[in-house]
Amino acid sequence: MKLIKAIVRPNKVDDVKDALGRVSLPGMTVTEVRGHGKQKGHTAIYRGKEYDVSLLPKMEIEVVVPDNLVDDAVAAIITAARTGEIGDGRVFVIPVEQSYRIRTGERSDT
Amino acid sequence: MATSLSVESAREELSAAAARGEGGRTALRRFSDCVDEFLERLFAEAPRAAVASLIVALGGYGRRQLCLHSDIDVLLLFDGQIEEAEEKRVRSILHPLWDARFSVGHQIRQMADFAELEIDNPEFLLALLDARAVAGDPTLLDRIARRVRSPAAHARILDALKRLIDERHARFNDTFYQLEPDVKDAPGALRDVWAARTIAAITDPAVIDRGASDRSRLDEAEEFLLRLRSILHVEHKRNNNVLSHENQEQAARLMRYAGAPRQQVERLMGDYFRHARAVSRSLEWVRQVAPVPVAANLVRSRDGIRFVDADYADAHPESWLQLFQTAIEANAAVTDGTLAWIQQRVERHRPEEFFPRPVNRAALLAFLRPRAGLYARLSEMHDCGLLGRMFPEFQAIFCRVVRDFYHKYTVDEHTLLTIRNLERLATRAVKGRERFSALVDDLAQPELLVLSLLFHDVGKWRDEDHVEESVRMALEMMRRLELPEESIALVEFLIRHHTRMSLVAFRRDTEDPEIVRQLADLVGIEERLKMLCLLTLVDVEAVNPDTLTPWREELLWRLYVDTYNHLTLEYADERIEHEESGLRALIAGRPADVTEPEIARFAEGLPRRYLQLFPSEEIYRHVRLSRDMHPDDLHADLKRKDSLWELTVATLDKPFLFSNICGALSSFGMDIARGHAMTNPNGLVLDVFQFTDQERFLELNASGKDQFLNVLGAVISGRTDVTERLRAREQSVLYRRRAGVTPTPPVIHADNQASRRYTILDLVADNALGLLHRVSRVISRHGCDVDLVLISTEGQKAIDVFHITKAGAKLTDAAIADLTADIHRTLEA
Repeated sequence: MKLIKAIVRPNKVDDVKDALGRVSLPGMTVTEVRGHGKQKGHTAIYRGKEYDVSLLPKMEIEVVVPDNLVDDAVAAIITAARTGEIGDGRVFVIPVEQSYRIRTGERSDT
Repeated sequence: MATSLSVESAREELSAAAARGEGGRTALRRFSDCVDEFLERLFAEAPRAAVASLIVALGGYGRRQLCLHSDIDVLLLFDGQIEEAEEKRVRSILHPLWDARFSVGHQIRQMADFAELEIDNPEFLLALLDARAVAGDPTLLDRIARRVRSPAAHARILDALKRLIDERHARFNDTFYQLEPDVKDAPGALRDVWAARTIAAITDPAVIDRGASDRSRLDEAEEFLLRLRSILHVEHKRNNNVLSHENQEQAARLMRYAGAPRQQVERLMGDYFRHARAVSRSLEWVRQVAPVPVAANLVRSRDGIRFVDADYADAHPESWLQLFQTAIEANAAVTDGTLAWIQQRVERHRPEEFFPRPVNRAALLAFLRPRAGLYARLSEMHDCGLLGRMFPEFQAIFCRVVRDFYHKYTVDEHTLLTIRNLERLATRAVKGRERFSALVDDLAQPELLVLSLLFHDVGKWRDEDHVEESVRMALEMMRRLELPEESIALVEFLIRHHTRMSLVAFRRDTEDPEIVRQLADLVGIEERLKMLCLLTLVDVEAVNPDTLTPWREELLWRLYVDTYNHLTLEYADERIEHEESGLRALIAGRPADVTEPEIARFAEGLPRRYLQLFPSEEIYRHVRLSRDMHPDDLHADLKRKDSLWELTVATLDKPFLFSNICGALSSFGMDIARGHAMTNPNGLVLDVFQFTDQERFLELNASGKDQFLNVLGAVISGRTDVTERLRAREQSVLYRRRAGVTPTPPVIHADNQASRRYTILDLVADNALGLLHRVSRVISRHGCDVDLVLISTEGQKAIDVFHITKAGAKLTDAAIADLTADIHRTLEA
């Protein structure tokens, strides 16, 4: 069982959601985040004055998947979120030791 | 003389009534009527005057309570200049009065004296409240009375009256328990009766009856005090109103109190104090609860704003909006009783009845300006059914429920919340949103944004395609209100595209310049962009408390900035082309006197945004202005536009042209608020400036416009040195920088990338007289051509964007460095 954490462009969230649905992964958590990687943001100018936009708005998608679906899920995310330009984002795969369903207290595998 | 004899017999009659203890209201009225007759005869017999005239009774005489030795207060009015004939007439009236042993308090005035009501003389205004036409043309008094009845005059009278009461009471140590009371001036005496009635009359006549001593109790006290006063005048043989110990015995006897003399006096004084207490309590009550007049037929009481005369309000539904407007201005609510009153009656009126005339429709737009209290008042109007009656389209979404994952409120409340959010921006009530608040300040017509918000979701009364339906309903409303076409176009645009910017900001790749360009194409000009951005922000925020996250706010702001920069920096590259649809539409709709070739010759090559900046009628006006243009010709037009003035100049380009026009404006003290300077490929320059005339030069001087245009012509042709003209004004004490105010250093940003053709100078500096002139002069001195300029202000900051070239090309980096350094030096000098 793995936690897949993807940082993507805000406008790509719907595409990623649809793509994950197609590989039978309907559940996910989406968070509004800000950050930068290699892209490092830039300086914008408004009415003659510079202001810093180094932290760019991004969306973070988290989804827990069974080990056998990890590759499909990552491929689906990358395909959907990719534009080819700097700033497309990152995907992290993190091992998950255990998972519990809060409503019932049962331990679950996904 | 017969007239004197009749006055004498009237005096005897009043004295006899007083001696019987019956010199109260009836007797005084008879005496006043007799004096009226005397004056009427004098008026009729006096030599004719050239102009209409009138004798007006004031004070106690005006109230028909003239006592035996009271002064006769009269005002002699003339409807024109007082010349010799009028003076003769005055003498023929006053001399017999004096001969008849009257003590006369007279004023002689021309109607012109009342052109501006003497608001600074509230005692006189107070006297006018009791004014009564005695002889002559009564319409003269009506003309004055109309002014005295204004809320402003009433408020001043009220203040003055309260002050006069306090001063008078202080003379009596603020107690009515006087052993030898003055029955006119003492606390609880006659003046207090009149004061209580006056306060009620100019605020709320019903207020007296709600107090501990009602109207009949006050009448009873007045009758008693007048009877006493009549006795005192007979006894003293003059205008003396003090009820001394000696007079008390006499008065008690004349008023037929029972018992021995001592008991009679005790009973008299017992009655006196009983009446004085009733009067004092009544006055105190009226002073405490009397509402303050705040507008025509409107008062402010402790629980809010309400109508004074409900019958008048009932017959004039067009006055209802003023109730809420006044509540905003007074930072108060409308009273619950008034809202209930409206609710009971609102269904009787059709929407048109609330805005029957242009002035009512203008008042509606003024009411909708975003400011503190607008949401609260709109909510009151909605709750009592008035908003839905004024706008039946809005009623369609009353308590409308739309089920989705996001919306937390009914459609009507969501709508009103958008307006509350805008109000909070306008009042800077939300910390961290100052950048959006600044956009509200920038808007020329923020009320149109509020109108758009009010209607942006009305189409949700049905389940599908609410945007189209909202547009349809809004158009119906705007046609009904007869809004100008450009306002209709703006509101329609905002409603039609009200979801567009959130879609782009939150769902599209805003890093993609093409996405930004498309949005810039859609909005066309900064004003629309700002409005759409604000609409989006307040709309998203009103969906539910969590929708507008700082993250979304940032996305929206960045999209705004990128689009704004595209509009202001890159627009020069997008020119009106020969077969362009906007140009074709302009040609198709042209009036008979404007030809197709002249439109094409004028507009082709101007920036495309020109077609969105100005409505068609304005463009045709520009075309006419640019006809028959020769070198050194200057075709200019100056007109009033709302609170600003607008100067339109068409001429052929030449060095220092822009600088000279700005200098000419500044040399008259004009403060340029916004403007556009454009040049077409034929070298035709069209500059449009909107400015405030701070010194009201154009308004106050009939020849001001001609004088200004003459100076402008002389400056452009080089006959007058504008720098010299400006220097004198800059040294004026009026424009000296205040000591202790630290100027903000100017910011100049040069951009050689944004436009293919131009170097762009973006200047942000403290607004100052002649700023544009000085900066553009430096640019011209560096040999640069100023082809396009955008002028705007944000509070005290001037924000100007110059598109410049040198010898037809962009500037080199070295030239930019030289130029910006020089501008800095000029501004900091």
